[in-house]
Amino acid sequence: MVIDFSQPTPVEISEERQLTESRREMVLNMGPQHPSTHGVLRVMLTLDGEVIVNCDPIIGYLHRGIEKLGESHRYSQFVPWTDRTDYVAAPSNNLGYVLAVEKLCGIEAPERAQYWRMIMGELTRIASHLVWLGTHALDIGAMSISLYCFREREMILDIFEKFCGARLTTNMMEIGGFSRPIPAELPNMVRTFLAEFPKGQRDYEEILSKNPIWLSRTRGVGVIEPDVAVAYGLTGACLRGSGINYDVRKAQPYLFYDRLDFEIPLGSHGDVFDRYLVRMEEMRQALKIIEQCLDQVPTDGPLSLHGSSYVIPPHDTVLTTAEDMQRHFIWVIKGFSPPKGEVYQAIEHSKGELGYYIVSDGSPIPYRMRVRAPDFVNLQSLPYMAQGAMLADVVAMIGTIDIVLGSVDR
Amino acid sequence: MAEDQPQTPMRAPLTAESWMTGYWGPIDPELHPAVHAVRDRFPEAFIDAVNFRDEMTIRVECARLRDVIEFLRDQPEQRYNLLTDVTAVDMVRLRDEPRFDIVVQLYSIPNRVRLRVKAGVDDGETVPSLVPVHAAANWMEREVYDMFGIVFEDHPDLRRILLADDWDEGHPLRKDYPLRGFREYVQPGFTAPAPRIRSRLRRPQ
Repeated sequence: MVIDFSQPTPVEISEERQLTESRREMVLNMGPQHPSTHGVLRVMLTLDGEVIVNCDPIIGYLHRGIEKLGESHRYSQFVPWTDRTDYVAAPSNNLGYVLAVEKLCGIEAPERAQYWRMIMGELTRIASHLVWLGTHALDIGAMSISLYCFREREMILDIFEKFCGARLTTNMMEIGGFSRPIPAELPNMVRTFLAEFPKGQRDYEEILSKNPIWLSRTRGVGVIEPDVAVAYGLTGACLRGSGINYDVRKAQPYLFYDRLDFEIPLGSHGDVFDRYLVRMEEMRQALKIIEQCLDQVPTDGPLSLHGSSYVIPPHDTVLTTAEDMQRHFIWVIKGFSPPKGEVYQAIEHSKGELGYYIVSDGSPIPYRMRVRAPDFVNLQSLPYMAQGAMLADVVAMIGTIDIVLGSVDR
Repeated sequence: MAEDQPQTPMRAPLTAESWMTGYWGPIDPELHPAVHAVRDRFPEAFIDAVNFRDEMTIRVECARLRDVIEFLRDQPEQRYNLLTDVTAVDMVRLRDEPRFDIVVQLYSIPNRVRLRVKAGVDDGETVPSLVPVHAAANWMEREVYDMFGIVFEDHPDLRRILLADDWDEGHPLRKDYPLRGFREYVQPGFTAPAPRIRSRLRRPQ
């Protein structure tokens, strides 16, 4: 059977229905090309005047079958695919995946690599929150803030580029550590960023936090009560904005988060403004974490667990010794076979709990690869928030969930 | 929700090799409180409890899955109140029957502990929906239906979610579904379908 792309596909557009003499219900199609839906999200809104009666998010326009691809690639080949799920926070996706595979294989990366993973993860959190803040404020009407946000994000992307050569889809982490050396000037670049970012963040807060337009558009809008937030399975800033204290870094620390001193900000009202405050404070805490990591990280030592058969051999010995060349050949061509079993590894992504559930049947290809995307679950709360709200607030609600459609649709 | 806040203090720094243990409760199933509670409450539905890499998995009968999840949510000592994930695994290459496993990941915010509950279901059978217990199950069950064709009873809105509404090619995450689908596509700008690439990535049968 051959699909004919030349024929136009029928598309349903808005329709109207007269309920009573004076009331009229209208179905409005928002997206998937609407600029404030942060990608290809489509929302079918049922309106009574300007009040939303019902809201149905329609997703899947960016579905690429990441889980099916994961079940047809070897373990090491899937790392670049994880970049493509949440493409504004690629190193965090890498991190969740490699931690899951390392848990499945029963190995652990060296201390220095784990510290650098934390530094890169927190830089990613700041970069992702900056994209969120810029686009969210742009939706609500504060145009200039997005330019400021992208100015600071550029510094983080420069750090990524210095480290691995790529800015967005970094493919930064390997199973067992890092395969690239840390450039000598990288710690200084990170410290420069640490010194300059608070000034940028003060700029954003001066523009937004006391701005009467921003306050009236965000305060009391999109309220999620704590018990509802738990029932909807929300994680990340959406859950903590409602006052529930759950952060994977504190509750079930991975890497060395249990050695660090940082705090988890909590909201009290559960509205859009509280979630904004929570994310702003998270960026400040991320700076604190990076600073401690830079102080504690060993300056010398291995970056990868090269002795293990699950880990790619180091590049220089591959070119000079026969054993490592053979191991490298087998690692690349045949892959490695972890033991039979299943693992679930969760990390605190910038958007919530990112989980990888891997079922291994003992072959070099995963039997089941499940990506538990945080924003896919968080987006479920949009109909709850939107019912009874005004049409103009929908863009604020979509923005506050912090969705990236590559991660929602996978 | 004040009583939902975690009471236990932070875990002390751990030595290497053990930095991810203890998050799923005791390793021995006999010592795990959730295993005991489910076995005592549902003796006919409890099948077994397995531990791999410190992760506790409880297998139950599919017909009582919703009751078990509701019991684990409401029982004062367990309180697995956050439904993290609902997914399925097509087990057709690993065993004869039942064909699918429904996998439910739970997390207890007060106790800071995870738990996995599994239930086997055959092709054509239905699963009791978890939406009355956890609203979060709504889209996850829709995704399982979309990707595996497993039907959930009492689901309020069971339709495809990631694939198109009029998708007629079956359910892609089943193991008998080819990676590039059953159909030939002519890409825009081409006259013939792209040739099939035989991958060397063959799983040993």
